[in-house]
Amino acid sequence: MAIQHWRVRDRYYRLMGSKCMNCGAEYFPPVYRCRSCGSEKIKDKDMPRTGKIVTYTHLHEPLPGFEAQAPFYLAVVKLDNGARVLTQIVDSPDDSIRTGAKVVATVRRARVDGESGQITYGYKFVVAY
Amino acid sequence: MYAVARSKVYVTSVGFTPVGDHWEQSLLDLAVEASRKALKGWRNLKPDQIIVGNMFSSLGAGQEHLGALLASALGLAGVPAYKVEAACASGGSAFNVGYSLVKSGAIDSALVVGVEKMRDLEPEEVSQALAMAESSEYTQFVGATFAALNGLLARYYMEQMEVSRDELSSIPVLDHANAVTAAHAQFRKAITPEVVSRSSLIADPLRLFDCAPVGDGAAAVLITNDNGVGSSRKKMAEVLGGRVATSEFSIYERDDMLEFKATREAFKAAMTQAGVPLSKLSLAELHDAFSVVGALSLEAMGLSKKGLGSKDAKSGKFSPGAKTPINTFGGLKARGHPVGATGIYQIAEAYLQLTDQAGANQVEGAEFAATQNIGGVDTTSAVHVFGRAS
Repeated sequence: MAIQHWRVRDRYYRLMGSKCMNCGAEYFPPVYRCRSCGSEKIKDKDMPRTGKIVTYTHLHEPLPGFEAQAPFYLAVVKLDNGARVLTQIVDSPDDSIRTGAKVVATVRRARVDGESGQITYGYKFVVAY
Repeated sequence: MYAVARSKVYVTSVGFTPVGDHWEQSLLDLAVEASRKALKGWRNLKPDQIIVGNMFSSLGAGQEHLGALLASALGLAGVPAYKVEAACASGGSAFNVGYSLVKSGAIDSALVVGVEKMRDLEPEEVSQALAMAESSEYTQFVGATFAALNGLLARYYMEQMEVSRDELSSIPVLDHANAVTAAHAQFRKAITPEVVSRSSLIADPLRLFDCAPVGDGAAAVLITNDNGVGSSRKKMAEVLGGRVATSEFSIYERDDMLEFKATREAFKAAMTQAGVPLSKLSLAELHDAFSVVGALSLEAMGLSKKGLGSKDAKSGKFSPGAKTPINTFGGLKARGHPVGATGIYQIAEAYLQLTDQAGANQVEGAEFAATQNIGGVDTTSAVHVFGRAS
């Protein structure tokens, strides 16, 4: 698994997504083809690091490897450029996590894999004040 | 070019195991049992093709190569056989392949078998297996289970459409009521909305009773044309139409998360192909893996207006005796959801209704039935429409 995550490290550390060079639409996760205009002229672009919560959930039973973090919040965040990202919301009071709340990206320990305990880092979001 | 009169296509017989805990039976045992039941009475028939619908036998049973494995076990070595996978829509997609092959005239008969072995796994292993329906890099990576995505969708649905907790509970409650008299159902006990709203939180706002259970099961259907089994129409249902559609992969990649585009497209195409207007539909077997998914499916099929799926179910619009009952044997919540087998259970249930073999669950005078089988959160949708054989 580790090399699979290493391959997309720029996506995880810098929120590097896609920009359509034809119509300007931006995406995260990255796309091969613009969902808006159909163009395949796609370039990598770092996403803005702020956005708003569209919807959220409090997850009690996470995937294997995430038990130590549970329960935790997950949200769909609409970034300021319109791209939508699925992310954990961390280090924020429970009552601040609600639909419409402003959030900002940060980098955290994402998961610890296998017997070697290899740590992978990635984006998580916190509520902005 | 000259026109070739295409034969009609039929579901000729069905077989299935009860859904639930099958500690004494392996993945192959279950698939063989369902297949033998479907082939019973057709002992001399050697299907032209075997197609297995299955999602995660590699994780669930350490087994792949299911087509040849089953063919060999049935004494049908030599018959072409392979597996079709489309997450939880594996069963419906496998059926679509069999139906398309028979309809095209390439073959005269196909045995389609859906099977899943889930209970051998630990709960967290089941979560991992189901999550493989979603993006490894961007959904699994953040720790999101499949239930978590549906929790996100449920909150959005409830907030946008002003749906109450009790309204959301209406489809699980209906499912459980219908399953009381369904011999093959996993849970045959009626529940109240309070049972749903007091069950443990899984992915807020979704609770345990919003979610389909984990179970083992296998279901099989024999598809034939007029050449396949001769002219007997006894206890056969006609396959009138079928379509598989896909949508943007994950809910967070969609402009409107509440629009089940795959189901809308597949259902519209299948009904048009069948020539059945919505008003003539006698029943529908829906893929309500989660309460919110059942509601959004009703809306995508046009059986409810936007935002009204759960509310309509609560008011009795889809209950037994109503114009278009749904989930007549309990749906995914109560009949159960052995994922790769579910689509074939639905088709077997539609067959029972259209051949007047549904017993206490019979929809009187049923003429047309639709089945809708989803993979992911309406990422793949396989819809088929059936009528009485004439």
